[in-house]
Parts: sequence; C-alpha cells; structure tokens
Amino acid sequence: MASYKPVAVLPFPRLGEKVTQDTLYWKGYKTPVQIKEFGAVNKIHFSPVPPHNYAVTASSRIHIYGRYSQEPIKTFSRFKDAAYCATYRDDGKLLVAGSEEGSVRLFDISGRAALRQFDGHTKAAHVVDFLSDKYRIFSGADDYTSKLWDIPSSSEIVSYSEHTDYVRCGCTSKLNADLFVTGSYDHTVKLFDARTEKSALTIEHGHPVESVLLFPSGGLLVSAGGRYVKVWDILKGGHLLVSLKNHHKTVTCLCLSSSGQRLLSGSLDRHVKIYSTTSYKVVHSFDYAASILSLALAPEDETIIVGMTNGVLNVRHRKHEENKERIPKKRHPAYRTFVKGRNYMPKQEDFFVSKPVRNHLKKYDKLLKSFQVSKALDAVLEVPIRVYTPEITVAVMQELSRRGTLKNALAGRDEKQLGILLTFLTRHVVEPRFAPVLINVAEMIIDIYLSVAGQSAVVDKQFMRLQEVVEKEIDYQGELLETLGMMDALFATMTSKKVTSLENKSNGISKVVEQVASS
Amino acid sequence: MAAGEACGGGWREPARAPCAFSPCGRRLLALSGPDGRLRVWDALSSRLHREYAPSARLSAACTCLAWAPTTAKEGPQRKKRKSEAAEAGEQLDLLAIGTAVGSILLYSTVKGDLQSKLDGGHDNKINCIRWHQDNGCLYSCSEDKHIVEWNTQTCKVKCKWKGDNSSVSSLCISPDGKMLLSAGRTIKLWDLETKEVYRHFTGHATAVSSLMFTTVRPPNENQPFDGITGLYFLSGAVHDRLLSVWQVRSDRKEKNAVMSFTVTDEPIFIDLTVSESKEEPVKLAVVCRDGQLHLFEHILNGYCKKPLTSNCTIQIAMPGNDSDSTPKPVPILAAAFCSDKQSLMIVYGNTLQPIIERVSLSTTESPVCLVRDIQKTLVLKTEMDVTKVSLALKYSVFLIVHNKPQTLPPLLVKILVLCMRWQVGLSNTTFCFSVPQASIEDRLGAMDIDAMKVKTQGGLPQTDSFAVLLVQGLESNDPDILNKVLQTRKEALVKNTVARIPVHAVIPLLHELTKRLQGHPYSASQMVRWLKTIFSIHASYLSTLPDLVPQLGMLYQLMESRVKTLQKLSRLHGKLYLLITQIAALEKIQDVSDVNQTAKLVYEEESSEEGSEDEMIADKDSDDNWEEDEEKEEQSEEPEMAVDKEINGDSDLDPENESEEE
Repeated sequence: MASYKPVAVLPFPRLGEKVTQDTLYWKGYKTPVQIKEFGAVNKIHFSPVPPHNYAVTASSRIHIYGRYSQEPIKTFSRFKDAAYCATYRDDGKLLVAGSEEGSVRLFDISGRAALRQFDGHTKAAHVVDFLSDKYRIFSGADDYTSKLWDIPSSSEIVSYSEHTDYVRCGCTSKLNADLFVTGSYDHTVKLFDARTEKSALTIEHGHPVESVLLFPSGGLLVSAGGRYVKVWDILKGGHLLVSLKNHHKTVTCLCLSSSGQRLLSGSLDRHVKIYSTTSYKVVHSFDYAASILSLALAPEDETIIVGMTNGVLNVRHRKHEENKERIPKKRHPAYRTFVKGRNYMPKQEDFFVSKPVRNHLKKYDKLLKSFQVSKALDAVLEVPIRVYTPEITVAVMQELSRRGTLKNALAGRDEKQLGILLTFLTRHVVEPRFAPVLINVAEMIIDIYLSVAGQSAVVDKQFMRLQEVVEKEIDYQGELLETLGMMDALFATMTSKKVTSLENKSNGISKVVEQVASS
Repeated sequence: MAAGEACGGGWREPARAPCAFSPCGRRLLALSGPDGRLRVWDALSSRLHREYAPSARLSAACTCLAWAPTTAKEGPQRKKRKSEAAEAGEQLDLLAIGTAVGSILLYSTVKGDLQSKLDGGHDNKINCIRWHQDNGCLYSCSEDKHIVEWNTQTCKVKCKWKGDNSSVSSLCISPDGKMLLSAGRTIKLWDLETKEVYRHFTGHATAVSSLMFTTVRPPNENQPFDGITGLYFLSGAVHDRLLSVWQVRSDRKEKNAVMSFTVTDEPIFIDLTVSESKEEPVKLAVVCRDGQLHLFEHILNGYCKKPLTSNCTIQIAMPGNDSDSTPKPVPILAAAFCSDKQSLMIVYGNTLQPIIERVSLSTTESPVCLVRDIQKTLVLKTEMDVTKVSLALKYSVFLIVHNKPQTLPPLLVKILVLCMRWQVGLSNTTFCFSVPQASIEDRLGAMDIDAMKVKTQGGLPQTDSFAVLLVQGLESNDPDILNKVLQTRKEALVKNTVARIPVHAVIPLLHELTKRLQGHPYSASQMVRWLKTIFSIHASYLSTLPDLVPQLGMLYQLMESRVKTLQKLSRLHGKLYLLITQIAALEKIQDVSDVNQTAKLVYEEESSEEGSEDEMIADKDSDDNWEEDEEKEEQSEEPEMAVDKEINGDSDLDPENESEEE
C-alpha cells in the first residue's frame, strides 16, 4: 500500500543580512545607558582587577564609575586644565594621567591628592601608560617628546625626541617591560626600547596617527590614523600585513576584544566596526549618536563603553541568559520515554518483526489525505501559518491545483473567508517566489465569484486593492524590462568591442607581418 | 542742556567704530577707526582736526566715546580747564574714551593731548560712558556688571555698585540729573542719591544697547513734576529691529513699552531732538547696521499698539563704473540733527576717511537714495586741504526710487522741482527735496523686474546632491545614510547624485541596489529608478569594465526572474479590471436608486392604541414582503417616473401610514 506523501514545502533562502555567530554575539547587549560628562571623553580605561571599575577622562576631571553605577563613585578633579588619558596600573591600585599644562600625575585609587607629579613636558601630555614592570611610566606630549619616569624617585629616566610632531598615542608591551610604542601626528609610529638611546623601529603610517595597539602576543601592531587601520608585523621589522579602510572619517580609537579574536575601531563617523583578526573582514558594526573619541571593552566583553565628542558616555552591558531560565518551563517527558524499548539491539536468534514508522502528519496533510480540500485550505489560512509561513499556504495551494481540486476548495466561501483569502493574495501575489501559484489562485477566485461581485462592500474593496497592487507590479516590471534592455545594450557593446579590438589587433599584426614580408 | 547730553552721546555698536558728535553746534565729530587711532573731524569743513593714537591702542581698543558737556554750569574741574585755555578763545572740549581693558582716558581736543586717565574702576570692557550735566561727574558701565561714578577732578572712583546680574551695556542720565538709567537685559532706573533701584522695565529679549530720554517735560503739565515721572525714554537692543519707547509712571505697574519704532536692521547710531513741550514732535534719526538711515517724527502721547514705520529712509550709493551697472551702497556711519533741528549731518563712507555732509530735508516722504562718488570727493577734499581753495563740487545727484533706474524717466520731470543750491566755499551742500511718491503700479513693476533679475543671476553653488553622503554610506556600509539617500523621491536629486559620484563608487552602489532590489516591492521600485539613472549616466564607464557580466550577472538574473510573470499578471489585471468596472457599474445603478428611499412626506394619523397594534402587524407583513420586492421598490421609489403611482398601488405598503406627496 502506497503511503500518503506529505506536501512538499519548498525552502526559500532568507533575505537580508546573514545572521552569523558574530552578529548574535555582538547583538547580545542591553539597551545602552547614557551618562553625561563635562566634556568630550578622551579616554576610558577598565581596571584590570575585579570589580572592574572604569576611569573616564573628560574635560578637567577623571571619574571612576562602578560597573553598574550611573554616578561616579570617585572623582579626581584637581586639574587646572584638561586631563588626559587616565590609565590604571596592572594591579588596579594606581592611576596615572596627563594634563594640558604638561605635568603627569600619579594617583592612589583610594586617595584624593596626587602621589607624584612629574614635570618636564612643556606642552600638553596626551598619552601616559605604565610599563609592565609597574615602576615606570611612559608619557608622550605635544612638545614632540616622549619620556620615561621612575615612580619611586619621581625622576625622569630618559627622554626621546625623535618625533617631529605631536605625540598623541602610545601603548606599552605587556610581555617586555622595556618596550613601548608611540604614534605621532608626523605620520609615524615608533617602537622604543628603554634600554637603548634610539628608537628600535619606525613605521610610516601615512596619516597622523590617532591610536596604536599592540596585540597581547606582542608580534602585531595596529595603528589607526586618517581613515585607515593598519596592521603591522613588527617581528618582520614593520611589514604591513593589512590595511583596512572601512570608515569614512578619521579613526580615533582601537580596542581588542578579551579573546583577542576581534578588533574594534571607533571613528568620527559615529561607527564602531568589529573586525575578525583572522580574516580582517568587518563582522559587525555599531552605530552611535555622535563622533566617537574613545572606546573600551570590559574583561570578558561584559560591557562596551564609548565616549563621544558631545560628552556622552554610552554604556552597554551584556545580556545574561539566566533571566530566561528562571521562567518555569512546561515539563516535557524525559528523553528516555521516547527511546524506551527502541534502543534494544536485536540479537542473532531474535525473530524481528518490523513495525512501520508512524509518520506524524500536519493538520493540513491529514485533511488532504482524507480529501477534505476545502478544510485543508482553511487550515493553512489560519493566522500563524498564513502570517509566519506563507510558503506552507502556497505549497498547499499548489498541491490542490496539481490535484485539480483547487476550484472546489476555493468555491463556496462566505464574505469573511473570501476576505482573508484576498488579503493573503494582495500581500503575496507580487512576491516572485509565490507569484506563479497565486496568480492562478487569483484568476480562479475571479472566475468563481465574478457572478456575485458587488454584493459585499468589503470584498469589493479587497478586489480593488488587489487590482492596485497588480497594477503597480506591472508598472514596476515594465520598468525592470526597460532596465534589462539597457543592460542588454551594455553587454552587447562590451562583447562587440572585445571582438573588434581583437580583430584590430590581429589585423595590425598581419599588416606588420605583411610589411615585414614585403620589405 | 539735556539736548546736548542726548545729542552728544551717540551710541555705538561694538563691531562698528565708536563715534560721537560734540555737543553744541555739532562742530566736531570724534571717530575711532579700526586701527585704534582716534580722529576728530571738523564737521563743517570735513577736515581732520585732531588725531590721537593712544599708546595702548592695539591691546586696549576704544569701545566708547563721550564728549563732556559744555553749556552747563561748570564743575570745578571744568573751570580749571576753562581758565587754562582761556587765551585760546576756543571751545573747550573734553572727550572720554572707554577702552576694552576697563580704563577710561580723558582727551582734550584743545590741547590735543591726553588730559588724564581713570583707572582701577573696572576690570573688563567699558560699555558706555555718560557725563553728568552739572557736577562734572562721569558714569561708566562695564562688562564686569558694575557701574562706577568717577570724580574727573581727582580721577578717583566716587562710588561703585553692581548694576546687573549680567554685563551692563548702556547708561543714560535723566534730564534733571538726579536719576540714572542703566540697562543690561532689563532696564533699571536708579536714584543717584541713594543708589537704589527706583523702577524696573523689562521687555527686551537681548542686551539693551542704547538708552535716551526723549522728553524733558511730562505730557500732563497740570500735575506737579518731580523731575522724572511722566518722562519718555527710548531703548534699542542688540539684534532687535524695534526701538521701544517707555514712560516712567507714578504707579509702579510698569507693564510694557508704550510704543515702538521699527527699522530695517539692528540700530547702530541714534540721534534725536528732544521735545521741549507737549506739542513738539520728537525727531529721531536711526542709523541701522545695513547702512540705512531712518527718520521718524512723532508726538509722544501715550500708548500706541502698532510699531511705527519711518517717515523717511535715506541711503547713499556710489555709482557703478559703467552707466548701466547698479549703484553700490555706501554705509551711513552716523547722523545727527543740527541745532536748528531742520537739517541733518550725515557721516558716511569708511571710518578712516568719513565724509560729513549736511542735508536739509524739507519733506521727508519717500525712500531717498543719494548718489555720491566717494572716490572723487576724497580726491577733491585732499586738494582742498592743501590749497584751501574753495571749490564748487560737482556732485551728480540722482534720485532713485527702489534703486531702479528704469522707473526714472516719468519721474525725471518732477525732479526739476528739486532745487540744489551749490554753496561755493563749502564742501558740503544743502539740498531741498520735494519728491513725489511713486505710484503703486510703478513700484510693483520695479519689483517684478527685480525678481526676474534675481532669477537670471543664479550661478550659485548647488547643494541638491547626495553624492558625498552616498559615497560615505557605501564605504562604511551605514544603513542609516544609505536609507536616507536611496529613499529620496526627487528625480532631479537622484540624477545629480548619480552624476556626481566618483566612478569607483559605481560598482559598490550597484551591489547595494541589487541587495535592495530583493526587498519590499515598493522600495524596490525606487531602486529601479536609481539603476536606470546609473546605466544612463555611467554607461560608458560600465562598458569599459572587463568583468561587467559577472559583476552584474546576479542583478540581471534577479530582474529576469521577476519579469517572467508579467504576461500572467497582465491577464490577471485585465480580469480584475473587468470585475471592478462591473462593480462600479453596479454601484452606479444602486446609487441612482438609493436617492429616494424614504417618502418625502410622511403623514401619521393620531390613532388609538388599538390602531397602533394594527399598524405593527401591518408593518410586519410589509417587512416580510419587502425583501421579495426589493428591486421593484427601488425602481418604484423614483419620484420622477411616470409609472410611480401604478407601482405604488401594486406594492404592499400600507396606504394609511405612508403617502407620497404628489
């Protein structure tokens, strides 16, 4: 006995952006919290130790925020002018910051006044950082110099003045306590070794450098400036690996995700782009309200914070899955109830009687199986199927039309049912994947109900709407045909030109050959 | 005295050069140029009288000027000066110069040197200086919110008090010298004895930049006059086209300005003739930032709702190089009434070499434009300075209505009435104007031509293109920007944008359009328009691409699959069209029949309860039959039809209850 074959629903590719693992990951943040700062936020830095407070430098203040606090839990405001680049030490106990007047100050997290003040820069010190031995500080300033300071003695160790313009960014190596990198507006990035007098490496970025970043492994260096983000291999002596140009304005800040697998860049064009560090393709992008100046990711990517030119700090926290689990779920039968007795392996001497596998049929399949065509059509016109999976509805319609019973199924419907049917048609008749089937259905409906037209205002209106849709689609397709004609012409000129150019060439060659021959 | 004070204190605007006419006769004009030098001009001969370069002129620019009063009882300091300069036999004039750093310089025009320096009162820009008429005191106000009373003899601060919460921008002393008006944002009236606020006046949205008393007598002369009540004063503010007039009232319920004058732009210099009596009108000359001079003449008598417009507007223009070109406007810097109150001194040109001209106005009716050749005058004047030979200046005088030479011919005849008296020996001339007003028709005609000209003049850079934005959107793949650009409906905008995008953006744009073509049908139709525009504008570029077919293959297939159903759709459309026309036709019939379903007149008999029961039964019956005969009824209800009666007779309606009026 031939068993009933369920209706085959053709799968259609989904439109729109492809949902990747990355989009899911980076979309898993809550709605942002906005915190208003006193001025443009020039640096955000997370404390490396739990509870991972973060220091925000804006205008003449440094605010320390707790992870979920909207108010600063601590403020360092003893700056006469703008403060820059407040950075935590690895143990999270000390904080260093540069300032507009050129002094570099060291703060104890629990204290209020500066522990140390390093004077020596004649202009604004825009970048400061701790070397990884914890006892030295490097700073870069607008007087074109970068200096190293000793914390215990609060004295200057060494000063490098190799740059020919403002030094605005830099970072230190986490592996080697003597290595640090500075980026300058003279378009270069320089790698310094504290043990030597001169820079170890110079890289030409090509634009004023706004931000530099060393990979945790120390082998790769990322520099941002102008519209470009460039990745360099410093082990190969500054070999350019990748040049990325995905922003339409200056890139101002860089950041690595906690896993080191993703690179984030923020720009004045209000976007944060996330690159994969294996393929260097943009895998996700965030959009913000104003130009971005600073960017930071909390450990484990728990929080992404962006500081903008309008002084707004945008804080996004990661959503956690726990909330969902708390909702008591309906208890399903355990897995073993389904496999009970089925996983018994028949032994050699067992007499095996095969039992036909029972197919679970959908409601419309059952109805189709019992030839209740009208009811089957009703079943697929119910709201969830008709709205969310119109392809099932269309597949059933196609099946009915194949059987030749579509007319029966469509006939004998009252005003309301006909209304639903027509709404469905109006919505989907122009979709190319459904069009062939639905046009037939529409024609059939008109044939059936032509005689009773004009009796119900609702249905009349639906027909009119359908007509409008069809009319628009015809206009659209007319336009498309014209465009196709244009493209045909384009393609034609292309192919013909190729041929002609070839012919010319061959002619020329033959002529040359002839000339040679005649001479 | 009061007139002298009011006239002498020409108010200045920070961006403009400070200038002031000397009181009494208007003989001298002090003007501080952009180079920081102070120049004193002789108004009658247009000659440079004095030039003074303050030592700190570059760091501490002059911000305001005020001439000391001369006609009053002299204070001790004045007496001393008078005795000093008695031999000179000349008018003694002292000029107070306020600077941007807060010091005040007293400059003597007789000695031609600095008399003294008042220091230590202000630490910010001086905004206004006023001399007291009687006691030789000087009042100054500054950006630092304070008002300072100076003793000019000892050069010391007499009194200093906070005048406002923001900067104090203007001052004025009442005619009797006992009150002081100060203004920042609000106007305050101070009692000078006690330094207490006597009245507040609020109403200006921006900083008040000029204050002046306009009357010296109260309007009602029966009442006892205490020196201030009932007086009117005038105020002008920054960025404000209205000059407000306020009245000091005895009751404290000061509400609003009693009236206002409207001018074409922010006022930069105001001068007025003070009305001495109730009947005498106040004459007001206001120089605006746009270089026009407005004249007002009004008798102040209480509240007036509508802003008054000027009686006369004067502009000065320089003729163009050719006869065809339109005259270029020359800004008027300042204006002051002469002591006879009938003629006006106008200062125009640039601040380094201003031209001072005396104009007497017999009638002030229409906008007047005086055409002056500045360059020629300048040359002539220097000659005069050297040779002291009096020259009859050849001014070409045109009268132009609305700057339109075309409208002149009909008026030229009437200009003959205009009499010009060339006064030989003086570089300035006196004119009498009697100008007939142009008819409305002339004016409209002139305006029409103006509008036409503006249109043809065009050629400004166009901003109707999204090219840059689109390229940025494509590069950063920003959906917001792309939506904004691609969803535009303006045909011209699409065309401009596509025409201006760089060629390297064409292929990314095509890919973006391909993506969007798969979206909603309605937005897709928008994209087709973009596609067509690209193909038509960038065809030559596209045809040079070697990999065009693979690049556009997907797009081509997409469109081809879409148009496959066109034939079937067209058929369906035909069917639908037929169906809908039929429905429409049916409705038409119904509409016609629906016209008169109800009887035009319903006659109801007053019946007993039994009768009503009968009716109900009858109604039911008729209802039952109604449906069957519906169509018939519909036709039968047509009142125009001749068969009406017969069908009515056939129908089952109860003739007792309803009857049609014939």
